[in-house]
Amino acid sequence: MAEPLIRMTSIRKSYGRVQALEDANFHVNEREIVGLLGDNGAGKSTLIKVLSGAVPLTSGDIFIRGKKVSLRSTSDAIAHGIETIYQDSALVTQLSIARNLFLGREPIKPPRFLNRMDRDAMNTVARDLLKQVGISKNIPPTTPIGSLSGGERQAVAIARAMHFDSDLIILDEPTNNLGVAETQGVLSFVRSARDSGHSCIFIAHNIHHVFQVVDRIVVMRRGKVVADDIDPKKTSVAEVERIITGMSDKEIRDAIADGKPSH
Amino acid sequence: MENHSLVQRLIARPEFGPFVLLVVEIAVFWSFNHDFLSPQNISNTLAFTVELGLIALAMTLLMTSGEFDLSVGSLFGFSPVLMWTLFNSGLTSLEVGFVAALLVAAFIGLVNGWFVTQLKIPSFLVTLGMLLVVRGTALFVTDGFPQRTWSAEGSWLAEVLVGDFFIGPFRIYMSLFWFIAAAIGLGYVLTQSRTGNWIQAAGGNPSAARARGVNVSGVKIGLFVLSSVMASLAGVISSLRTSAANPNSGTGYELEVIAMVVIGGTALTGGRGTIIGTVLGILILRVMRNGIVLIGVPGLAYNIFIGAIILGMMALHSWLERRHQAGT
Repeated sequence: MAEPLIRMTSIRKSYGRVQALEDANFHVNEREIVGLLGDNGAGKSTLIKVLSGAVPLTSGDIFIRGKKVSLRSTSDAIAHGIETIYQDSALVTQLSIARNLFLGREPIKPPRFLNRMDRDAMNTVARDLLKQVGISKNIPPTTPIGSLSGGERQAVAIARAMHFDSDLIILDEPTNNLGVAETQGVLSFVRSARDSGHSCIFIAHNIHHVFQVVDRIVVMRRGKVVADDIDPKKTSVAEVERIITGMSDKEIRDAIADGKPSH
Repeated sequence: MENHSLVQRLIARPEFGPFVLLVVEIAVFWSFNHDFLSPQNISNTLAFTVELGLIALAMTLLMTSGEFDLSVGSLFGFSPVLMWTLFNSGLTSLEVGFVAALLVAAFIGLVNGWFVTQLKIPSFLVTLGMLLVVRGTALFVTDGFPQRTWSAEGSWLAEVLVGDFFIGPFRIYMSLFWFIAAAIGLGYVLTQSRTGNWIQAAGGNPSAARARGVNVSGVKIGLFVLSSVMASLAGVISSLRTSAANPNSGTGYELEVIAMVVIGGTALTGGRGTIIGTVLGILILRVMRNGIVLIGVPGLAYNIFIGAIILGMMALHSWLERRHQAGT
């Protein structure tokens, strides 16, 4: 098999005495949407934080297209083409759509020493991108993020990642707090991101959303990757749930039965 | 959006409220006393207004980035004291003393910024501490006495900073042009430059800005330095104009300056700032101080009106904000 886009091997991360990741192995192929599942505290967020440069790893290696990299900060990760979209925290609500899209990478109008943003270029690109990610309403790119809905905000964040040619877009709970139509919108942006050549890691509590969009499901439990090749087309939701909780049907029935007498 | 009329767009701007208030204020004072708009009174009001205004302009950018600086009033008093002490002791020329005062101010700004961004101490506490350190130094160095200042006559530095001339009946100080230049320059930085985008992002959502590779700490430290240097410049200008260098001058200015900035529509919590609003805010408060005295209200009642204006404008801004949010 060809070298994957991202490969993380024997990743360990401990916060003091708490071992958040124990020898986690994880990879993402080119043009692939990976669903990352696991119960609370399974280590999903830690794994993602390590990959996005937000926290340093204790030991282990990260390879991008076969090359070993060290991600010491979020800017390192962005420079390596890894873009993370945290729920609601990725945008500055006071700034306009265009200003958010280009934050940190604003195009400059010559002469350079005036340090002046090329706002026409920013607005034009923003308008195109909004259309691309399926915001059909006529929203001017000068609208502040604060007056957009949750789904529109996610769309802007995804549009940004797509525009700046990120190889990997990490979506942390992108469908939380979204309405039905907005959720469908976000899922279709994810698909279009893959179609245009990006890979995605999709983290969500809602397994049904994950099933609708991903190519492969990875499950984590207690800091380890316990399954990394689940095909959503050949596996049922119930089976995946069982892997997440780590209990067999009988154990689940027992657990429920144990709870009953106290009611 | 595009087909909104010009009037509607003007009304929707955050600077509209302060603008109306300023016009009303001027009209009321003028109707009480027509001397209010006399060339002499306008000239007198402007002279000091621009000195405080220089500080307020820098404070606007700093507050947009989510921080504020309480040490500006102390620096306003300390810098001229330092300059004159160096000059009077024969150590340096006036010009070198001036540059030294600005450099010391820049260093103080750097320390403020370092404490806030690296030690993560709120700017309220850091700059409150710095306020006392700087004021204390000014008092200690001078034993509490004003410095000798009369030898500034004819110095080119004094001419450039506060040289005065008449345009028709108006007596204009050079400091007015420095203020206008600073307002245009900083307005440009805030709204047109990429630095301005970073300043707003740093105040609006620092973690998002950091995640995009914006050097939030660098931006904030730079703005603390700017704020200190502008306060120092304003202090020197004021000292040259009035031929006084009193270690106590500038006491309480920090709050008046912050009031000017928030009245103009800049958010105290950061993320949103307007230089035009600040210019209006500066004029509102200074016109109020001047007008109250002119129409015969006791000067001691000044603070009542200032307080009322601040509360009123805050109520208006929050109401506009809520209406804006609801309307989308």
